[in-house]
Amino acid sequence: MTEPTGLFDPDGIVWQRVSGRLVTARLISLGIGIGLPVVVLAVLAVLLTPWLWLPAAVLLVIGVACASVIARQVHAIGYAERADDLLIRKGVLFRSLVVVPYGRMQFVDVSAGPLARALGIASVQLHTASPTTDASIDGLEPGEAARLRDRLASRGEAQLAGL
Amino acid sequence: MSAVPPPPPPAPAAPSGETAAPPLGVPDDGLDWRRMHPVTPVVRGWGVIVVLFLVGFNQVATDVEGAGEVVSSVNPLWFVGGLAFFALVVFLYSALAWRMMRYAVGAEAVHLRQGIVFRQQRQARLDRLQAVDIVQPLVARIFGLAELRLEVAGGADSAVKVGFLKIGDAETLRAELLARAAGVTVAEGEAAPVAPEEQVIQVEPGMLVGSLLRTGALLAFLAILVGLGVAAVLAHTAAPLLSAIPGLIGFGSYLAQRFVGEYGFVGAVSPDGIRLRRGLLETRSQTIPPGRVQAIRLSQPLLWRRKDWWRVEVNVAGYGSITADAKSSSQVLLPVGDRRAALDALWLVLPDLGLTDALAVLDEALVGSGPSETFTTSPRSARILDPLTWRRNGFAVAPRALLLRQGRLVRQLVVVPHERTQSLGVEQGPLQRRLGVASFALHTTVGPVTPQIAHLAEADAARLLAEQDERARTARNSEGPELWMRQIATEPVAEVVTEPVTEPAAEPTGDGA
Repeated sequence: MTEPTGLFDPDGIVWQRVSGRLVTARLISLGIGIGLPVVVLAVLAVLLTPWLWLPAAVLLVIGVACASVIARQVHAIGYAERADDLLIRKGVLFRSLVVVPYGRMQFVDVSAGPLARALGIASVQLHTASPTTDASIDGLEPGEAARLRDRLASRGEAQLAGL
Repeated sequence: MSAVPPPPPPAPAAPSGETAAPPLGVPDDGLDWRRMHPVTPVVRGWGVIVVLFLVGFNQVATDVEGAGEVVSSVNPLWFVGGLAFFALVVFLYSALAWRMMRYAVGAEAVHLRQGIVFRQQRQARLDRLQAVDIVQPLVARIFGLAELRLEVAGGADSAVKVGFLKIGDAETLRAELLARAAGVTVAEGEAAPVAPEEQVIQVEPGMLVGSLLRTGALLAFLAILVGLGVAAVLAHTAAPLLSAIPGLIGFGSYLAQRFVGEYGFVGAVSPDGIRLRRGLLETRSQTIPPGRVQAIRLSQPLLWRRKDWWRVEVNVAGYGSITADAKSSSQVLLPVGDRRAALDALWLVLPDLGLTDALAVLDEALVGSGPSETFTTSPRSARILDPLTWRRNGFAVAPRALLLRQGRLVRQLVVVPHERTQSLGVEQGPLQRRLGVASFALHTTVGPVTPQIAHLAEADAARLLAEQDERARTARNSEGPELWMRQIATEPVAEVVTEPVTEPAAEPTGDGA
């Protein structure tokens, strides 16, 4: 896979990466979402009919394909705090880059589910007045998440603009 | 600003009990709490009564004999007594509800209290006011009442509804609120000045009907109808045609709703902002203060092309979340009009694009195609993804706004003022990467307009992203205060109307309303 081109890697930006534990978190949730049905299907296939091996195999292939890109996906997540805005980059196959000016921020969410808490990661999401702004960063260390939250809040306040 | 100038009680809603001690938990907070018109509960609740009546009627109509038996088996006295009791309960509840409904206008906010069991207090900051509507449903019009809706940029149902008031009081209140929101200091004991307005747009009913008949959906529906007719002839039964009746009713009601909602459309400009009035049965008079329009779209369905008609819609922060029926028409700045009228509508929002030859650029933006000095379009490689529109998809940067042109069959032009940009984004899928193109999106508040441009060359997208970010920041920093009257002044409207688009920006002459 090629490195991001100029469009998704503007000059002079040092991307901050997210924690590698996000890979674990995503693998576990994938395991629950796909692994569990595969196991159930396999058991049923042994007990009832061998035809059930077919959906199990299909699910397994999908699961393995997803699992193989998770590490790259997590590695592709990057964020950068510039003087006036926050840049968030995502995606390997489908790439996106979002630029959110601090002054446009309406509120910040910091959230962590049970799995994320157990692994010691949290996610930060910025909300602007636009629902289409997709500015979330998963897999931050809790300390970094808190720092980012406070930083964003204070910068947002300093550059507050109406709508 | 701490002292609240209590406007003289102009006997707004309730002529009686105005000076009595505030009962039922209305605190003495220095605000001049005013009451709604006593008929308010009737106007609000008449729908419930009609529905109850219809349900009852329906029950009786479907089973007349059964109903007759029930009626004859019950003592008529009980029946009448029950009805009277029901009416009494409704009346008492309405009276109590009315007593609890109060509003007050403070120096910085509008306050509203209501509710009997679940009490609600709501205040809307005037400097966050996105739009002010005066709505008159049909029943309210009979009583000469109106509801004032203050839109703030909250979530769903965030509007502050003050109503119902006498129409004159509602207009006075609107003038007062807009004056305060604009930063005009209203002297104590004096009514706020009503901003003068100049009509710019008017939609004739004939044109509205013509535009509704020229919708693609109508043609499709007629085609289906003809198909069903043929089927009916071939099958020697009317069943296929009968099956179209629900669709006919649905489609007819859609057209009727559009017609009723957009009938008598008038757009005017005033120092308070854009004034829009429309409606056949329920009339609505909107005021959108300056700088509250987040994005604007001019669009032309295929069947309107020969007439060169356009429709103009806007994103306004408060309107995005209001209920579905009002939504469709609240965000319309021009239901239908020729190109001149559409450009006038655009001018209402953006009097100055900062371009020297704005008309030429806008003409190119509306009907042009292919790259030019002003427009950057998709590269040739995008023709696989966008065989029809790749030459038309493009953007132009004006000093005050970004112009996004798209659509070949349904032509569209989206204009976003630089200072209204929320955030920016680029996206690229695997196929796009192979072709060296990327999609650009500009994020704005909820509404009919979604500014985006598909399949720009990577280099163009990168440049647009970087430069637009910079432009938005510069525009934001140089933007005036929220209290718009402190910054801009009335412009020579009459002069402007003759040539809206080419007219330069408002010259600050210093005198307000």
